[in-house]
Amino acid sequence: MNKQSEPVGIIIDNRQLQAASGMTILQAAEKNNIYIPTLCAHKDLTPFGGCRMCIVEVEGMRGFPTACTTPIQEGMIVRTQTTQVNSVRAEILQLILSEHPVSCLICDEAEECKKYNVTTRKVGVTTGCRYCPNDSQCELHDVAEKLGIKEIGYPILYRNLRVEKEDPFFDRDYNLCILCGRCVRMCQEIRTAGTLAFKKRGHQTIIGPAYDRTHLEAGCEFCGACVSVCPTGALSEKTRKWEGKADREEVTTCAFCGIGCQIRLQIRGDEIIGSLPADDPLVNNGQLCVKGRFCVTETVNDYRRLKRPYKTVGITRVDIPFNEAIDIAAQKLAECFPDDFGMIVSPNCTNEDLYIAQKFTRAAIGSNNIDTSTRIFYGQSINSYLNLTKMSVPLSTLRKSSVILCVGLDTRFARSVAGVELRIATRRGAKLITINSHEHNLSLIAEKKLYPAPDNMLEILNSIENLTKLNSNNNDKGELSIVATMLKGAKFPVILVGPDLLSLPDSPAILDCIARITRNIEGGILPLPSHNNFIGSIFMGAYPEALPGGIRYDSDINIQKIKELWNRDSLDYDGHWNSLSNGADPKKKVIYLIGEAPYAQRPSCDYMIYQNIYHPPSSYSANLVFPTTAFTENEGSFINGEGRIQKVRKGVKPPGEARPDWDILCQIARKLGKTGFDYSSVDDIRKEIANFVDGFGDAEFGNRALVPLIFDIDMNIPTTRPLNISSADFPFKLDLSIIEHSYRGYPLTNWVSGLKSLYIEGQLDINHEDAKIIGISTGDKVMVTSLNFEKTWPVKINERQPQGKVSVTVPMSEFPGFIPKQVNVRKNDV
Amino acid sequence: MNTEITRAGSSLNQEEHQSFHDLFEAYNGHEGDLVPLLQKTQEKYGYLSQEAINEISRFLKISENQIFGVATFYSQFRFNAPGRHSIKVCLGTACHVRGGQVLGEAVGRELDVLPGETTDDKRFDFQRVACLGCCALAPVIQIDSDIHSRMSVIRLKGILEKYE
Repeated sequence: MNKQSEPVGIIIDNRQLQAASGMTILQAAEKNNIYIPTLCAHKDLTPFGGCRMCIVEVEGMRGFPTACTTPIQEGMIVRTQTTQVNSVRAEILQLILSEHPVSCLICDEAEECKKYNVTTRKVGVTTGCRYCPNDSQCELHDVAEKLGIKEIGYPILYRNLRVEKEDPFFDRDYNLCILCGRCVRMCQEIRTAGTLAFKKRGHQTIIGPAYDRTHLEAGCEFCGACVSVCPTGALSEKTRKWEGKADREEVTTCAFCGIGCQIRLQIRGDEIIGSLPADDPLVNNGQLCVKGRFCVTETVNDYRRLKRPYKTVGITRVDIPFNEAIDIAAQKLAECFPDDFGMIVSPNCTNEDLYIAQKFTRAAIGSNNIDTSTRIFYGQSINSYLNLTKMSVPLSTLRKSSVILCVGLDTRFARSVAGVELRIATRRGAKLITINSHEHNLSLIAEKKLYPAPDNMLEILNSIENLTKLNSNNNDKGELSIVATMLKGAKFPVILVGPDLLSLPDSPAILDCIARITRNIEGGILPLPSHNNFIGSIFMGAYPEALPGGIRYDSDINIQKIKELWNRDSLDYDGHWNSLSNGADPKKKVIYLIGEAPYAQRPSCDYMIYQNIYHPPSSYSANLVFPTTAFTENEGSFINGEGRIQKVRKGVKPPGEARPDWDILCQIARKLGKTGFDYSSVDDIRKEIANFVDGFGDAEFGNRALVPLIFDIDMNIPTTRPLNISSADFPFKLDLSIIEHSYRGYPLTNWVSGLKSLYIEGQLDINHEDAKIIGISTGDKVMVTSLNFEKTWPVKINERQPQGKVSVTVPMSEFPGFIPKQVNVRKNDV
Repeated sequence: MNTEITRAGSSLNQEEHQSFHDLFEAYNGHEGDLVPLLQKTQEKYGYLSQEAINEISRFLKISENQIFGVATFYSQFRFNAPGRHSIKVCLGTACHVRGGQVLGEAVGRELDVLPGETTDDKRFDFQRVACLGCCALAPVIQIDSDIHSRMSVIRLKGILEKYE
């Protein structure tokens, strides 16, 4: 079909045209700006021939063939606008409209109404004539107008179906559905998710998942691809319902995970009203996950955004002008000795912000106390994880790989873009192997599925490692040796590492083992980091152990260059700052948090400066607060998990007086009398970064090239003293994991209400037998205690939870650090 | 250890699972096997249960939603367990003319059941059929293998009581 070799000569509406062979009549017509009405055809989908709107007359062919399914042939004579064709089309459209509420399409006052309402509606909301939420994006409306439909000659049938509002993110009103099948084809062909299908037949046909399941029950990924292609208002985005049509869009990089999808921000006036996938062949290929598609708007538009700086006097918040806030910050920092300063910056920030943050700490303050929260997130596994990222391969490797191994990965919600690639790969014939300790969405397509208990994960991987060694003697016919043989014989084998592994107690050993397997099979890794700019934070040197360029703090490679550029005589850093110690060890005078809220309580410090898009947790009693920009209001770049440098473009103005992180830091540094902070734009910073990191030079930047992930950093890992705990007093083992889907220190569920039904968080999962012994049922509050630790959570009885073990996922700010794993659980009677 | 680490996510026990897999043995798991597999499953169990669709979905690597979509297209598939007795109300031309529709509605009301469903006590399943081939006796209903001819709503209750 795609053999676009010799051009074919055809005649459409008396125009002699040349078109590539293999095209359909519709494609040839559209390419030459000849209008043929269509409802079911869509550029991304295979021809369907369902709506019959595109019927044409072709000389020598019987009847009226559909233009979308008929390939062109040399010498074909096509007529698209004859009286007969148009009257048949109008008749068909009336039949379609007899089942679709039409008052807005054929109303006499439609013309006047249109001036005031974006979708023509007879009257306002109050009188109820508002069937359709599809504001000025109704393709049915366009076609009805083009065909001049003024009345419907058939009895009107309203199906009286219940509007389905129970699922998050989008509503479904199948009374408006015209059964064009775009959503079904999108879901089955492009997303390959198979959530939507045509059910029943004839006039009973309806679209939806099996039985009467909700989308949530049916395995929907909430990618929103179906909503984007719906030509009517049947599928409509909840948050965008009354926002109307975007007046412009801006392509930028999503900041919600390390895949780094390209998104098209939908902008109306000075507000982000939506985000759609960009057609980007390098990374996301026109796909998005629920976070990129539905979570951007609510995250950046939340009413709790910080809009102006303030200081805290006693317990009162006092708004102050920006200049005054800068003055106060500079004054406090001038009094602070370098070692008394500590800064924690978010790995969600742009490279430029991160670079300035560490330069500020090192060159303006003279301290080395700079860190990000990834140290808490990855905990003891951080070095092992960094080693894995060095073996990173592009996402597109999945398109040629013959065997793919996924460990601890579920791509239903987060990373669903990778999930689509995996499903397409298996369709192509690639074999998928999964290793998970619980059921996951990839099990449907996996050739081999292993379900080791969390405690056996390492053992299983070790066995696979031994079996993949070159000289391993492999006569065993067990599952594991089949897996090993598949991996060894594979072309471009890829291992995908999911976030589930990070919460396992032996996760460093597991990750190291995965690295050895990768070497044994000469494969590549897709580490899919949770933080969008984790790699960037390493390259920018936002850690005590790392300098810009991703080099060691004590390395002498770039030292001379850094000294010159930063105007410093010496760089005498000890490479140690344990930001995990809650600021207590040693006590800090000033703590500066940028886009982070990593602590449960205010860390022990004299003064706290807090800079973020949201207010600080009230328990912090932050002394000075700066409002800053979200990624949709900022410029710069991120480096994704593959090592690809991708641009961040400004969509809208920041709210209130908010300014970019780098700008605030530079103003404070200038106030402190430091030189080297006179950047006029973010581009100046990028040019300075180019001295340390490849790919930031004038010529390469914007090419979205891959930076080689070569860095030599050894992170300090805090050691925990084993506590002497008797298992009689503390009979339960506690598995704690940190919520992965967060942005600038807060879980996205804080701002995006729909996400709460996808991720059930802050609940302690417990086995039903254990629950019976303690005397609790789902919803009860329990107190979890250990030595020096006490916490209350609501409980959820989970059959799958092994006896003697409890698990919970908490936001980073509630993460109690490295605590004893043995706990006691009892009913909270208070 | 190996069997333990390769099975999860199925609500069936080992025996029921095996029973399905005996059925699947003759197929190699291609997409095109779907309709024959659905037919075989219905032949063996009498209907397509949610568990059956789940097992077929895992075997063919097609989502349950897609399988349900295909299965509901064909009128030959049933999604409810058959009752102890099976009622077929004829809606062929002759029966329709002589009040088959009303008869069907009466059955539904009497047993509180919709066409295609089975009563909660599993006593009856209820279907509408196009023609039973005895138009001269219209309107007819068939219960199990008995044909009840020249039916009326008044006689219906008494006839239903005979089947336990």
